[in-house]
Amino acid sequence: MSARGDAMSTPGASPRGRVRRAASSGRDLLVAAAGLAVLVVLPFVFSSPLLLDFMIRLAAFAIYATSLNILIGYGGMVSFGHGMFFGAGAYSFALLMQKTGVSIPVAIVGSVAYCAVLALVVGVICVRLKEIYFSFLTLAFQMLVHSVIISWVTLTGGDQGLTGGIPRPPFLGIDLGEPRPMYWFAATVAVLCLLAMRHLMQSPFGYTLRMVRDNAERAQFLGIQVARIRLAAFVIAGCFGGIGGMLMALFVSGAFPEFAYWTTSGEAVFMILMGGAARFLGPATGAVMLLLLSDLITRFTEFHGIVLGVTVLVFALVFRRGVTDFIAQALGRSRAA
Amino acid sequence: MSAAGGGAAVPMLRVERLRKSFGGVAATADVSIDFPAGSLTAIIGPNGAGKTTFFNLVAGSIKPDSGRVVLDGEDIVGCSSADIAAKGIGRAFQVARLFASLSVEESLMAALMSPAGRSADMAHRFPLHETRQRAGVVMEQLGLQGKAATLSGNLSHGDQKLLDVALALVLEPKVLMLDEPTAGMGPEERHQMIETVHRLWREGGLTLVFIEHDMDIVFRIAETINVLSYGRLLARGTPDEIRNNPEVIEAYLGPQAEEHA
Amino acid sequence: MDPSALASCFASLSCVVTQTTSGLIIGALLFLVAAGLTLIFGVLGVVNFTHGSFYMLGAYFAYSAYVASGSFALAIAAGALGVAAFGLVFERVFMRRVYGSDVLMQLLVCYAFILILDDVVKMVWGPEFKSMGVPDAFRMPPVSVAGGVVPAFYLFLIGATAVIALALWVVLVKTRLGKVVRAAAINPQMTSALGVNTGAIYGAVFAVGSLLAGLAGALAAPVRSVAPGMGFSILIESFIVTVIGGMGSVSGALVGALLIGLVRSFGSIGFPLFVEGIMFLAMAVILVVKPSGLLGREAAR
Repeated sequence: MSARGDAMSTPGASPRGRVRRAASSGRDLLVAAAGLAVLVVLPFVFSSPLLLDFMIRLAAFAIYATSLNILIGYGGMVSFGHGMFFGAGAYSFALLMQKTGVSIPVAIVGSVAYCAVLALVVGVICVRLKEIYFSFLTLAFQMLVHSVIISWVTLTGGDQGLTGGIPRPPFLGIDLGEPRPMYWFAATVAVLCLLAMRHLMQSPFGYTLRMVRDNAERAQFLGIQVARIRLAAFVIAGCFGGIGGMLMALFVSGAFPEFAYWTTSGEAVFMILMGGAARFLGPATGAVMLLLLSDLITRFTEFHGIVLGVTVLVFALVFRRGVTDFIAQALGRSRAA
Repeated sequence: MSAAGGGAAVPMLRVERLRKSFGGVAATADVSIDFPAGSLTAIIGPNGAGKTTFFNLVAGSIKPDSGRVVLDGEDIVGCSSADIAAKGIGRAFQVARLFASLSVEESLMAALMSPAGRSADMAHRFPLHETRQRAGVVMEQLGLQGKAATLSGNLSHGDQKLLDVALALVLEPKVLMLDEPTAGMGPEERHQMIETVHRLWREGGLTLVFIEHDMDIVFRIAETINVLSYGRLLARGTPDEIRNNPEVIEAYLGPQAEEHA
Repeated sequence: MDPSALASCFASLSCVVTQTTSGLIIGALLFLVAAGLTLIFGVLGVVNFTHGSFYMLGAYFAYSAYVASGSFALAIAAGALGVAAFGLVFERVFMRRVYGSDVLMQLLVCYAFILILDDVVKMVWGPEFKSMGVPDAFRMPPVSVAGGVVPAFYLFLIGATAVIALALWVVLVKTRLGKVVRAAAINPQMTSALGVNTGAIYGAVFAVGSLLAGLAGALAAPVRSVAPGMGFSILIESFIVTVIGGMGSVSGALVGALLIGLVRSFGSIGFPLFVEGIMFLAMAVILVVKPSGLLGREAAR
């Protein structure tokens, strides 16, 4: 997103550097503000409740897919098990609201904390492994979480899911029981989360992560603690993935084992594929595309799998890149984010 | 151990009786070398002599079976390669190891975050302003300033090797180890690279160690030459001494027939 | 969780026989699928995530062949050879294009096919569960074994798998073809330089791997319900088996499959809902402690 022109800086021109960095920070903020403004105004222009529902689901998945791309796109760590955080976030938030009397903000914090701990435990074990084994182990852990959800019937409702709805006590004057406030809440959370993840990826940490992705050994020779960086990325991705799950739980007023199933992980990977892994907003774009595609398909045919499968094949074998990559190329910026 | 430069008691880098075997084959066999501060040393030897293994042992990517490596008075055997890099060994590789998706300038600025302890900084925006100046200096030293915004992956082979050296240099190492800096280059590029390396050494007061196959280069610029063969230190001396050393000649060319009556 | 039920089963000989047989059945089917998976990974270096769908196709082909002809032998042939042919085409047309790419691309291509094949199966055969039933040839009273009873078909299944396992071993270890295949696995460039057509080897291995999966599906059809999506769970389980046994090791797949089969079988008495969890835990433990698997070669760090 930040413009990196071909004009190079003269060495030592630090005031210019500061201005350029502030400019790119400011740009992100501006885009976020503009996006939020559009989102806030949306219900006044289009009053369809279906649209609001779609946007809330989009908010959840945009956060979730972008968080996975921290691992895949920025970190080079292909996790097959990211759904475990979507599920963990949903269940922990829903359970906190159902079983304890806390307010929504407190439950959010609790849910994020839970995902952080889960990510820490799983990450410590996983990040040391190479490639395919990392992928397998993350998948194994996700299915383990899924297994626990299914078998701990007294806590989670087993394969029926968590029923009984989620209490929504108003907080700070916001009543999430009403559709429009719920939508505005989801939109704001999404914009804030995307902005936060953007900031992290444009920070020194984000660039260290890219170094680790491009050449982990070299990064080590430069004194970087590769495993720690990867673990930090894993925890960050897990937390934001959990926030996506939390929004979903609010949306469906419950939590279901499918949230932690490997098909949820697969959906995020599809979003990243179709939207593009190399640009920051790629996964979010992919989320829009996949949700639209899914909704469209189910309207016309029950054979959702064939259409989706063929689409994925086309992107994987023919295009070999996502929509935002095409756009970036067209605009003459063939840089990786 | 003849030391050029007056009576420096403790060498910058000392390798003592270093040993490493792989599956019963000695890759490094009881090698001891001193590298005085500010020296320019070449390591040569036929293929398979264990030169790169030697570098790996010193820089910490593999652990020796026995022996000591002492950097500026500190024993570094057993330290991770990250720690050893932080302690002052910079290393460039036979095949350049770069960050393909980062530009030249970005790579250097990113590398610079590490000694400043800011690699994991999540609060600020990249690049950190304090890294830009040093990155610029290093780019100029290596002649890369014109390519600051080029992606590392898009550089020509020669420029990639230069960036590889720059990434080693940017941390202001005490010892700079270059593994075949001119590998894969044509004669003109080779000349330029070695001029650059020599200039870096002269201007920076570094302790420089390099592996090289091109004997012209080695004999032209090295102060001291160490010859490895089958993992052993075969000979050590000035270019003239090495040039005329019969064991060295034999190691490279095979046994020579008696030429003089 | 019901450990007492487990304990009482161990006390009863007939229960032990039943559960052991059941475990062997699960293990046998798992072995066939996992052997194919591990062969493909060992030689081609590719993880065939579509493998579960091959198993499913094998079951459906067998079902249709049996319904049409009444011959179980034909059903087995249809399942095994039909899927082998499909696998060959799949490899030539699609997998080829992602050999060099990273795991993500391979995963995406395979996952796309899982979705497509599930729907194709729904279109052609309908979404309901199909039941083939035990073939006439095996409709006889159960056999008495060591104090318990075992259905005749189960014995056939276990026996057939044992024979196949033996045949695989003989071919891989004792024949020249097997040596060539193993050489191609270890060093494809060298093998190619020696004049071996590695492309043909790849195709052949993929076909054999697919054949094994299809055969498993055909053998499973009498004793499992044939439905879309039946490939998922066996895919995941065969992954666990190959990881535990070691990717690339067929003997490892055998050990792993038997282990998992027995754990599943006895576990379903003691802790039915958490059986899956146990298997994933085992996989996680192996990946941490000995990433190359119990019998595998390649390191994972």
